[in-house]
Amino acid sequence: MKIVVCLKQVPHSDARLDINGDGTWIQEDNLKFEINSYDTYALEEALRIKDAGEAEVVVVSIGPDRVTQALRTALGMGADRAVHVNDSAVEGSDALGIAKVLAAIVKAESPDLVVTGLMSDDGNFSAVPPMIAELCDMPSATSVLKVDGANGSLTVERELEGGAMEVVELPKPCLLAVQTGLNQVRYASLKGIMAAKKKPIDVKTAADLGVGDQVGAGAAKVRMEKVYQPPKGEGAELLEGSTDDVVGSLMNKVKELGLL
Amino acid sequence: MIEWSEQHQMIRDVVQRFIREEVVPHLEDLEHGDLPPYDILRKMFATFGMSELARQRFDRQVAKAEQAEAGEIPKEEARKREGDGTGDGAAMQLIPIIELCRYCPGMVTALGVSTGLTGAAVMGKGTVAQKKRWGLDLLTLDKIGAWAITEPGSGSDAFGGMKSSARREGDEFVLNGSKTFITNGPYADTIVFICKLDEPGVDSRDRKILHFVLEKGMPGLTQSKPMKKMGLHSSPTGELFLQDVRVGMDRLLGEEKALESKAGEGRQASKATFQMERSGVAAMALGIVERCLELSVKYAKERVQWDQPIGEYQLIQEKLARMEVARMNLQNLVFRTVELSAQGKSMSFGEASAMKLYAARAAVEVAMEAVQVYGGNGYMAEYHVEQLARDAKVLQIYAGTDEIQIRAIARDLLA
Ligand SMILES: Cc1cc2nc3c(=O)[nH]c(=O)nc-3n(C[C@H](O)[C@H](O)[C@H](O)COP(=O)(O)OP(=O)(O)OC[C@H]3O[C@@H](n4cnc5c(N)ncnc54)[C@H](O)[C@@H]3O)c2cc1C
Repeated sequence: MKIVVCLKQVPHSDARLDINGDGTWIQEDNLKFEINSYDTYALEEALRIKDAGEAEVVVVSIGPDRVTQALRTALGMGADRAVHVNDSAVEGSDALGIAKVLAAIVKAESPDLVVTGLMSDDGNFSAVPPMIAELCDMPSATSVLKVDGANGSLTVERELEGGAMEVVELPKPCLLAVQTGLNQVRYASLKGIMAAKKKPIDVKTAADLGVGDQVGAGAAKVRMEKVYQPPKGEGAELLEGSTDDVVGSLMNKVKELGLL
Repeated sequence: MIEWSEQHQMIRDVVQRFIREEVVPHLEDLEHGDLPPYDILRKMFATFGMSELARQRFDRQVAKAEQAEAGEIPKEEARKREGDGTGDGAAMQLIPIIELCRYCPGMVTALGVSTGLTGAAVMGKGTVAQKKRWGLDLLTLDKIGAWAITEPGSGSDAFGGMKSSARREGDEFVLNGSKTFITNGPYADTIVFICKLDEPGVDSRDRKILHFVLEKGMPGLTQSKPMKKMGLHSSPTGELFLQDVRVGMDRLLGEEKALESKAGEGRQASKATFQMERSGVAAMALGIVERCLELSVKYAKERVQWDQPIGEYQLIQEKLARMEVARMNLQNLVFRTVELSAQGKSMSFGEASAMKLYAARAAVEVAMEAVQVYGGNGYMAEYHVEQLARDAKVLQIYAGTDEIQIRAIARDLLA
C-alpha cells in the first residue's frame, strides 16, 4: 500500500502577520512557518494506517527552500520519503495550478490513497483536494472525521453542517480531505528527527512533472486582487454596571432581537 | 558551530509544541499548587524517546565498564568521553533544557538533579553491578533521584563542615546526619547520600568522603515535606534525616575501592559533578533570558505612555539592548558546550565556573529588568516575568554561589 500525503507550509499560528508592499499577500520575510494544521492530521492518519499494516508514506509539498523543514518534520514523524516541488515558476498559481502540480505527482506515484487537509490555514479555499481528485479521476471525500477499513474499500465519516455525520464508502484509489480533530497528532521523537536527515527528498520542477506551462501567475484564472485588514466595525454597545445589571440588559437585548 | 542545525531546530519546534500542550496548561498548578513535576517529565521522556536514548547510552557505558573491570581496557579508557563529531547528543539534552526554562526552570532542576547529578554519580562512581542496580532507572526517569551534600551547617564549604558520617560496624555501615535544600528530597526513590567515614584520630577535614545509595522507606531515613521557597516552585526541595541507617558494602558507591582511595579522591569525583552542573546552568539561563527578552520587546511595543510606545524611550531601549547582549553571549556559550562535546572535550574547572557565574548573573539581571519594563504588571503574578525573576535568582546560589565561582576562577588564574 502506498499513501501520498499533500502538505503545505503556512505561517506559524503565533506569527505576527503584516500585509506586503503591494497589498496582495502577507509579508513573508523573517516569518516563522509550520505545517498547515489540517495537514498534520492528514499525515497522522496516513502514519496510523502505516503503523497498522504495511504502507509507504510519501509526503509532497510545493514551495521555496524553507519547505524542506516541513518535509523533514514529516519524515521525522515517520513518513518514508518526500517530493518537494521547488520552482519559482509555480509562484502565483491559483488553486487549479497547485492541484495540477500535485495531481502530476499523484499520477506518477499511483498511490492507493491520497490524504490531504480539508483546507489551508492561510488560504482557506478548500479547493485543491477535490481538484486533485478530479484531475486524477478518483473519488474523494471531504471533511473526513473517521476512516475505517484501510485494506479493502474505505468507509469514512464526513462532518456535515449542524453536527450531522454522513457515512460514505469509497473504492481505492481515492482521496480524503480530513478535518482537524480526527486523531491525536503524534510528536516526532528525537531519534525520528535524527533519522529524517537520511531520508530522501526528491526535488522537482513543474517542467519535470510535465505541467510547466499550466502553472504560475500567467496560467492562473483566479488572481489575488487585494488583501486588507477590514476597518474596525462600529455600533458595538458596551453594557455597564454590576454583573446582575449586565446580565439583565443582555437578556432584554436578546429578547428584543427575537433571538430567544 | 554558529547556529542550530535544521535537525536541532526541528527538535526545538517539537519540544515547544510539547510545552505548549503539556506544560503551560499545568503551570498554575506547578507554581501555586502542589503538583510535582515528575509525571509531566516522564511524559516528555516517553514522547520523545528520551528513555530509549538513555538506555542506549547506558548500555554503551556499561559495556565499557565491564571491559575495564575485566582488565581488557584501561580504566581511563572506559571513563573517556567520546565526541560524536556532531554535538547532536549534547544538543538533544540542552535544547529541552532551554525550552523548558522559558516557562518552568524548576522542572529542569528536578530533572537535572535526578538524571544529571544522581544518575551521573551512580554511573561515575558505581561498580558495574551498582550501575545496573540503580543507574538505568535514574537515567530513564523511572526512578526519581536526589543528590545530597548540603547540610544545615555546611553549604559552600560542603566537605569541610560536613557532619554526616558513616561508622563501620563489621560488614555494615551505620549512617547518621541531616541534609537540607535537597532537590527532589521529598519524593526521591533513590538518594545519593554523601558523608564522611568515621575515622577516629583523623582530623575531620582529612576524612574520606563516601557516597552511599539509599532508597525511600529504608528504616531510619526520613524525607521531609517540600520546603516553602522564593521561587522554583515546580522543583520540590526538602530535608533528609538519617538516624542509624544500616547499609551493607553493596550500597557504598565503588564498594571496597572507595575505602582504599585517598582522602582527596572523593572530593575530586564530586568536583567532576559540579562541573557538569555548571555547564547546564548556561542553557537554563539562556531559556530564561530568551523568554524575558521576547516578552519585554513585545511589551515595549504595546505599552503606551505619553502617547508613545515605551520602546521609543532610550532608557527602555538600553534595557532591551543589554538583554540582547546577554542572549547572544549565552547562546555562544551553549554553542561552545555543544562543540566541545562534539569533540569529546570538556571545559576546565575555572572555565566552567566562569560560565556559570556569567550565566547566573545575566539571567538575574535580565529577568529583573524585564520586571522593570513591565512596571506594575511586572510585579504581578499574571505576567510571567515575575515568576522568572524569582526563579532566576537560584542560579546564583545553587551549584556553587557566585562568590564560590569567583573563588574557583581566581584560583585557576593564580595557580
Ligand atoms: C533551590 C535549591 C536547591 C538545592 N538543591 C540541592 C541539592 O539537590 N543537593 C544539595 O546537596 N544541595 C542543594 N542546594 C544547596 C546549595 O548548593 C547551597 O545552598 C549552596 O551551595 C550555598 O550554601 P549555603 O546555602 O549553605 O550558603 P553559605 O555557604 O552559608 O553561604 C552564605 C553566603 O556566604 C558566601 N560565602 C560562603 N563562603 C564564602 C567564601 N569563602 N568567600 C566569599 N563568600 C563566601 C556565599 O557565597 C553566600 O553568599 C540547593 C539550594 C537551593 C536554594
